[in-house]
Amino acid sequence: MLIRNATILTATGKRYEPGFVLMQSGSMAAVGDGNGPDPKAGAVVIDARGKFVTPGIIDPHSHIGVYPVPETTAHDDGNELTDPIGAGLRAEHSFWPQDPAIERAVAGGVTTIGVLPGSGNLVGGRGIVLHLHPRRGARAMRFPGAPEILKMACGENPKRVYGVLKRSPTTRMGNLRALREAFVKAQKYSRDWEAWITKQQKPRAKKPDDKDGADAKPPDRDLALETLALVLRGDILVEWHCYQADDMLAALQLADEFGFQVRAFHHALEAYKIRDVLARESVAVATWDDWWGFKMEAYDGIPENLALITEAGGRAALHSDSAIAIQILNQAAGKALAAGRAAGIKLDEDDAVRWLTANPAWVLGIEDQVGTLVAGKRADVVVWSEDPLSTYARAELVYVDGQLVFDRAHIGAPWSDFELGVRAMPPSKKETK
Amino acid sequence: MRSRVLAVAIASVFARTASASAEEGPPVAILHARVYVPGDHPPLENATVVLASGKVQAVGINVPAPPGALTLDAHGKVLTPGFIDADTDVGVVDIQMEAAANDTDVRGGPMIPALRMIDGYNPRSALIPIARSGGVTSVVLAPRTHLLGGQSALVDLAGDSVAECVVRPALAQYAHVDEETVQETAGTRSGLWLMLREALEDARFYSTHKAQYDANAARWLRLNRQGLEALQPVLRGEQPLVVTAHRASDIEVALRLADDFKLKLVLEGASEAWMVADELARRKVPVVIDPLQDLPQRFDRLHARSDNAAILSGAGVPVVLSTFSAHQARLLWQRAGNAVRLGMEHDAAIRAITEAPADAFGLKGYGRIEPGAVGNVVLWSGDPLQTTTRVEHVFVRGREQPLETRQTLLLDRYRTLPLARDGSR
Repeated sequence: MLIRNATILTATGKRYEPGFVLMQSGSMAAVGDGNGPDPKAGAVVIDARGKFVTPGIIDPHSHIGVYPVPETTAHDDGNELTDPIGAGLRAEHSFWPQDPAIERAVAGGVTTIGVLPGSGNLVGGRGIVLHLHPRRGARAMRFPGAPEILKMACGENPKRVYGVLKRSPTTRMGNLRALREAFVKAQKYSRDWEAWITKQQKPRAKKPDDKDGADAKPPDRDLALETLALVLRGDILVEWHCYQADDMLAALQLADEFGFQVRAFHHALEAYKIRDVLARESVAVATWDDWWGFKMEAYDGIPENLALITEAGGRAALHSDSAIAIQILNQAAGKALAAGRAAGIKLDEDDAVRWLTANPAWVLGIEDQVGTLVAGKRADVVVWSEDPLSTYARAELVYVDGQLVFDRAHIGAPWSDFELGVRAMPPSKKETK
Repeated sequence: MRSRVLAVAIASVFARTASASAEEGPPVAILHARVYVPGDHPPLENATVVLASGKVQAVGINVPAPPGALTLDAHGKVLTPGFIDADTDVGVVDIQMEAAANDTDVRGGPMIPALRMIDGYNPRSALIPIARSGGVTSVVLAPRTHLLGGQSALVDLAGDSVAECVVRPALAQYAHVDEETVQETAGTRSGLWLMLREALEDARFYSTHKAQYDANAARWLRLNRQGLEALQPVLRGEQPLVVTAHRASDIEVALRLADDFKLKLVLEGASEAWMVADELARRKVPVVIDPLQDLPQRFDRLHARSDNAAILSGAGVPVVLSTFSAHQARLLWQRAGNAVRLGMEHDAAIRAITEAPADAFGLKGYGRIEPGAVGNVVLWSGDPLQTTTRVEHVFVRGREQPLETRQTLLLDRYRTLPLARDGSR
């Protein structure tokens, strides 16, 4: 499969105009300037003159499938609000693969999402990284080789949810205490397991009443502490919902106390206020372009957030947190780029594409596999009708692992079983022109 | 770019007239602009627009700047009417999730037609300059909830007092017949329509039995006196009834209701309106929609689709585009741009946030640049619906407005780190 004659935005700093992308066996075989190699017999060649090609968009913060549409009580599965330390939970187990929002996200050029539990709990549970192609269950959509990710939350949401229930936490200090207590337990849990493993490995003479030796029972498994122990070992990426600068600083203090790394703050509307700290500590930011004001901790959001973080040497990524916004993340990048430039921040179009692809790939720990158009990576590719940073750009062709999953000119039966018989009318002439 | 003459004059005008009425000040002549004019005409190139006494005084190619006018050379950039967001809470809410900072969701109901949104409007809200910075110069403050939610207002986004801002304190009446209201109120949609019919019938009865009512000799009526009074302009066809409904069959019921009571109908939400596009076009019923709402979010909008606006517009329905937002009313341009992306004509999308809302609500002189119209205009660096375009100048009632917002002040404060006040650390 060869796409050529297009403007190729690689998210590596290189731009080929015109250039080509050669896909083979689900991977990118070659990307570069000009027309590319002569296609082999039987190869599909797409002449994409005037069009743009980018890596598939990666949304590191989505609730598709766990808060699906239609919004029914039967499918309200994103927040298990019975224990603020929900570390034993997995979004995978709530994910409804028939969510009609999935196909619409793909129509917006999105190929990978991080599905996270909600933010009502201090530890929301494990998220799951999904490749967007229609499958019957979350496990089959799981991005191959993606690391485990953990959703955590600070600030208003947990204390509001449990405040209503008259249970701790009801304050920010309550938030921090509950988390510290949980990590103290996780430290002991880790020690108990390490001690047991050490004893298992140590050969010793067996006595009939030996309770400490090889016959000793292992510590009881605890799903929540097991997950938190992975955090302490650095074997799960911490994705922390946090808006205010002071809340992020408190979170970093806690991470320091227990010796773990925060992979990314999500939402992080005040990240610009501490962008020097975040860049120094290698903590990424996943955020919107210009959302603000929906709650107190979102009051200081500004449209230059992504640009300022980038200028400071930090790693900024766009996220949607919304089944509507996920369809126009490309526009969000265009807007954030324009806002940054208007503020005098030097940015180029590749920076904006990185906000959509390479940086969210890093947030989810899949940067070695996707996020840039380079030979050897997975062939997650989008062909756009025009510059993807334009309001008018439409994803025309979307490939996941080299497979065409969306073709605007040939929209077939809906992916979702739920929409069978509902979306039965032909698409209008306008939309398919 | 702004001429030095104008820049200096603006500074002095703002310093001098903190409380003066918006219309004061010298005339303004905007030269060499690409001007969007009403109707199907293409934009005028290299045109002059003169603003005086708060209004558009002249528009044309060879119009001279009046003596003493402040001049602004647009260098070919785009001048549009100030955008009108037909359904917002700007100035009524500061922070959505803080009840004390949110006056959008009144308790009581389900029928409170006498409520006036204007009484909750705060002209000093931080949201107002932010909406303006997106080229929005007027908004409809619309009730969000309840079967009969009350009366909206039209305000211009400039001025220090409510009296100064308000254009129409009682613009339209709002009925919500969507899934949320059904669940909160009657439990079934037929039950909800029954309540609405009874309220309208009672209001009609009241209009011919006021003496008996005041003498306590009328039959029981579902609404209180204020409510019955508030529905009179609706029954007389003077005030539109804005019905929020999504399912196509609900829209059909709304049309029957409008026939039965001879109402002036405006539809909002209307996710499935495209399914009855021809009927809406025949009746010329304005439809206010958010073109980004393409999800089957609820069971009353399972047929929501991304080209609703394009289909309606193509069929000849008067389409109005809205953000239905407060904090993000500044993004009305992006809603219109997405309607274009999804198949609507570009000029129709511009009309859908200028002339169309003005016409839907009977706002003479709004949403158009023509002599006698209100002097609400915006100068853009390029195509107003494009991500790369910036708002360069905003005029409300003929006076230029500062583009400073709480957000630009935050940017200025944090433009370089560490802050001076952080000390030596």
